[in-house]
Amino acid sequence: MLSWSGQVEGDEVDLVALGRGEAGTSVPLAAELHAFAAAAVGHDEAELVQRRAALIAAAGGGRTGADAMVDAAAVVANFEMMTRLADGTGARFADEVTAERAALASALGASDLTSKR
Amino acid sequence: MEVRADLLTAQRDAWDDLVRPGPCLSGEARRELALTALAALTSAEPLPPWVAPSTLADVLPHRSAAPTRAHDAVYRIAAHAGTLTIDWYNAITTEVGELAYVELVALTCTVAAVWSFRRSAGLDPWPLGDPVVGAPTGRVADQVVHPALNWVPVAAPADQRAAVVQAFTALPSEHTRTWRLADAQYIPDLEMVDPRWTRGPLSRPQMELVATRVAQLRQCFF
Repeated sequence: MLSWSGQVEGDEVDLVALGRGEAGTSVPLAAELHAFAAAAVGHDEAELVQRRAALIAAAGGGRTGADAMVDAAAVVANFEMMTRLADGTGARFADEVTAERAALASALGASDLTSKR
Repeated sequence: MEVRADLLTAQRDAWDDLVRPGPCLSGEARRELALTALAALTSAEPLPPWVAPSTLADVLPHRSAAPTRAHDAVYRIAAHAGTLTIDWYNAITTEVGELAYVELVALTCTVAAVWSFRRSAGLDPWPLGDPVVGAPTGRVADQVVHPALNWVPVAAPADQRAAVVQAFTALPSEHTRTWRLADAQYIPDLEMVDPRWTRGPLSRPQMELVATRVAQLRQCFF
């Protein structure tokens, strides 16, 4: 989805770099969003505080920056939910979709995950 | 910090729902299981996937109303969802039942979403309310079948929608709560076809970058 919407918006997306854990895209605020997401999933509270403040500042500060951070936090929340939904219910793609996504999964380093069904 | 009203309301309603009777579980059992999910989520060093928390003293001091294996399942889904296998699913559901399992996955998802949002945004965590007394509602889809795209049973007809969308349809209340949250937290389901959709502060590629990073760190193939 990121490669599709990025292409439409004119943003470059390097899936191999994403697979290595780098932001890998020219999307605005990519570095700050990427680091904020990682900190939100981790357990280092000081890191999260720092990454949150950096995102708010980079997004314009004040109410504008705070609104961007809140929406980023909402996306984190959604994927903390959806990953457990998918893995908890044994969700998998239809065979034809899995085949279509093989190159993408490989680029993202996801081909060998236990959660691939 | 101001949270937009639709997001705040969806999360508040979902959180309050955790202590009400569900389709298969009482409000007291659901509250207990939510506490177990929180114990797993808030631990900087959760138990490894192969250790059932019920086998250790002090990890789950609050359990009494929900089955022990339900607590073990919730803990593992909360802490290590990327490690789950069909063999594990079969073992758990033999003891707790498939529909109760769907309910406990759904409530774990709600706990993960709301707790994560409030922590990420720098907001105080919400406490769980007192359990609402009453029997489970027993509300289940009219016809429940086993799909090809999920382990869990779903409402018929199966496999007409994506696996994640049909996952909780056997239990309409759990399905509705989850997708109301998803619509407020991410891209509403009906807007998925629009690559330029935005709520305002973030573009769709920006939202998807965050989504990709979280899924990657959670080792979720889907």
